[in-house]
Amino acid sequence: MQYPAPIAKLMEGFMKLPGIGPKTASRLAFYVLEMKEDDVLEFARSLVHAKRDLMYCSQCHHITDVDPCRICEDTSRDQTVICVVQDAKDVIAMEKMREYNGLYHVLHGAISPMDGIGPEDIYVAELIKRLQENENIQEVIIATNSTIEGEATAMYISRLMKPTGIKTTRIAHGLPIGGDLEYADEVTLSKALEGRREI
Amino acid sequence: MYIRTLRLKQFRNYDRLDLQVENKVNLILGENAQGKTNLMEAIYMLAFAKSHRTANDKELIQWNQDFAVIDAELEKKNGHATLGIVLSSKGKKTKINHLEQQKLSDFVGTMNVVMFAPEDLHLIKGGPRLRRRFIDMGIGQISTVYLHDLSLYQRILKQRNQLLKSMFPVPQEDQEIMLDILSEQLSVAAAKVIERRFAFLRLLEKWSREIHEEITRQSETLTIRYQPSCNVSEEMDLSMIEKRMKETLERDKQQEIRRGLTLTGPHRDDMSLFINGKEVQVYGSQGQQRTVALSLKLAEIELIYDSIGEYPILLLDDVLSELDHHRQTHLLNAIQSKVQTFVTTTSVDGIEHQTLQEATTFYAKEGTLTKMK
Repeated sequence: MQYPAPIAKLMEGFMKLPGIGPKTASRLAFYVLEMKEDDVLEFARSLVHAKRDLMYCSQCHHITDVDPCRICEDTSRDQTVICVVQDAKDVIAMEKMREYNGLYHVLHGAISPMDGIGPEDIYVAELIKRLQENENIQEVIIATNSTIEGEATAMYISRLMKPTGIKTTRIAHGLPIGGDLEYADEVTLSKALEGRREI
Repeated sequence: MYIRTLRLKQFRNYDRLDLQVENKVNLILGENAQGKTNLMEAIYMLAFAKSHRTANDKELIQWNQDFAVIDAELEKKNGHATLGIVLSSKGKKTKINHLEQQKLSDFVGTMNVVMFAPEDLHLIKGGPRLRRRFIDMGIGQISTVYLHDLSLYQRILKQRNQLLKSMFPVPQEDQEIMLDILSEQLSVAAAKVIERRFAFLRLLEKWSREIHEEITRQSETLTIRYQPSCNVSEEMDLSMIEKRMKETLERDKQQEIRRGLTLTGPHRDDMSLFINGKEVQVYGSQGQQRTVALSLKLAEIELIYDSIGEYPILLLDDVLSELDHHRQTHLLNAIQSKVQTFVTTTSVDGIEHQTLQEATTFYAKEGTLTKMK
């Protein structure tokens, strides 16, 4: 049986979202038919607003609804430190911690020649420009992922930053806190051993 | 360690197999194409989670079936373990003690296997790829960290080769910086792989020299030398190897950009074998090359015992007929009563060794195994 056109179109829309196949799409579409019209309107509006009203902050490139974003605008934050992350989601993870009080810079990706992503495809040049324009910055913490690509990106940034003379640091990696040593895999353990320090 | 029971379901030409075996030599007799090597393949899979002769797991599932199962009960010195592999069109699942393993690397290494098949006789004369594979599998059996370092190296290598290709003919400035970074990453990973391979071959030489002298009645001394593509030596420490590797990459940069390839590193390394100072690959007779291959395999068994404290399971697939009487005797003496061994052959005529006479014998025919004695 063929679906009536409006439902088919709605399903097509749902199927563009990650993790949604034809079955889930059909379930969601039929559920929408049962919903109150106000709720549907509200939902449609939020979809459009999320796309239309959100943008990248012109300074840190984090997603925001006002430019500059609330983090960059917050004068109570430490204006001398910038934490460089791969994704907007990483900013949210860092913020949940409530321990870091500096600024951010979101790269939106990592350099990976295999995937055709070069330095010009992520916001590296913007970071360097930001450092040149802002004389307050004293430290840049590079918190890209500990994958090969994340490491390469970290090294690339530190290379570009050399001439500025700003202190560059890399976050540590190793054993998770509260985890028993015996549960860690061999590779993580050997990494942790490599990064040991005197106490 | 040894296998107690092995069960197969819809694996290759085995519709159903329930095999009880003992901790000794198991001889599998049979005509060609009756399922002797398929049995070896199943045991090999339990150790490495992949086949030694195909990369396509679907070939392992019986024709017209959706899935295949391999199950085994393994007896180890610190207790027993149940291993399981389920192959289906959706991929493979591995289980240890009925618990599904999220990562294949968690499964690999629970059971240790050394396999000696006719193609191993090419180890000496064949291409360097075969020898690198031999080294990598040998170290991989005893070190998961090595497998991780190796796969890291291979990934960086891919990234670097891709970058090199995109730099031709006119490299841009940011690409130059990126190449520099990837060279550094590659050197760090390469040094770990090279250092580990040096150490492994040193140990392998120690064991195989002894075995080789015995087989040749003290007339031949075996020497193994790692041949790195980069100018490094065994005495160097990690940071020195790393430094040399970086210098070489820097030196050959222009050539590498032209060819779009990384020309130096563990992926280009090799090992050389010498008998009384002469290179076997060049000067060795067929027979000498076979003896060396045999010595290396037997040494691998001792090396595993040395590092994990128990003997691996030995698979001898159709190699008896490839060896002369003297070498057969030596091989059979070596495994006598200490290593659980599975031997396949079409015929034992003319081999009158005690090990085979005492062995449990099975007869393979059209996907079934019948115990003869």
